[in-house]
Amino acid sequence: MSDRSPSFYEAELERIYHELPFRQEQFAQLRQSKVFMEKHYGSKLVIDALADRAAMSRFHFIRVFKAMYGISPMTYLRDLRIAKAKFLLQKGFLVTDVCLEVGYESLPSFSTAFKKCTGYTPREYRSINIAI
Amino acid sequence: MIKIYVTSIPVEDQDKALDFYTRVLGFIKKKEIPLGEHKWLTVVSPAEQSGVELLLEPMAFEPAKVYYKALKDAGIPCTSFEVDDIDSEYRRLVDLGVEFSVTPRESGTVKIAVLDDTCGNYVQLMQEL
Repeated sequence: MSDRSPSFYEAELERIYHELPFRQEQFAQLRQSKVFMEKHYGSKLVIDALADRAAMSRFHFIRVFKAMYGISPMTYLRDLRIAKAKFLLQKGFLVTDVCLEVGYESLPSFSTAFKKCTGYTPREYRSINIAI
Repeated sequence: MIKIYVTSIPVEDQDKALDFYTRVLGFIKKKEIPLGEHKWLTVVSPAEQSGVELLLEPMAFEPAKVYYKALKDAGIPCTSFEVDDIDSEYRRLVDLGVEFSVTPRESGTVKIAVLDDTCGNYVQLMQEL
């Protein structure tokens, strides 16, 4: 970087970052739980296991996650699963296979979550977006 | 059901912007429709080609020019794009001659960098951590 003085934006970034009400290790702890979700989204994940990864109690974990990322950990996990499902459906995988692959144990709960997030049922989404 | 289908970034020169946003940043041209002396020119992410379009909008309204110049003078990005790996994207873009006002740095739950789009704006890249 040059020796120029920081812009208004850089100065504001610096100020806001230092005023955040979290410690560095808390960011690192939460990232551990996100990495765990990204690695194991295809398995059954419960909130206690995610909180364990962040080395926090269940309620503290939910509160801190929401404060940092703006959504609850289970909403984050749902969005992650639906994003993976969209990718697989576009590739032409069958709805039932995708449902299991992304960690849902029943087709109705997968379809409900999918429709809530995308506006389409998995079957509709697949037929619209499948790569020819 | 209401949807966001387009968002825009004002650019000083649409042809120059199309080159930068496609060849350099990696977007794909989606629509190019002549409209008077300008055009309805949009690009999309390769990963979301049926998703939200980015309109490269001509900066032709005088008060807008004043506003966006003020943003740029303050170093404020006028929009933000997500990338998977900001460090590798930073290296790739620097190799292509892109200038950054903010090099990759952590800021809470994200890592960000800010580049000059050569069309009158700063643009922020963001990787969620």
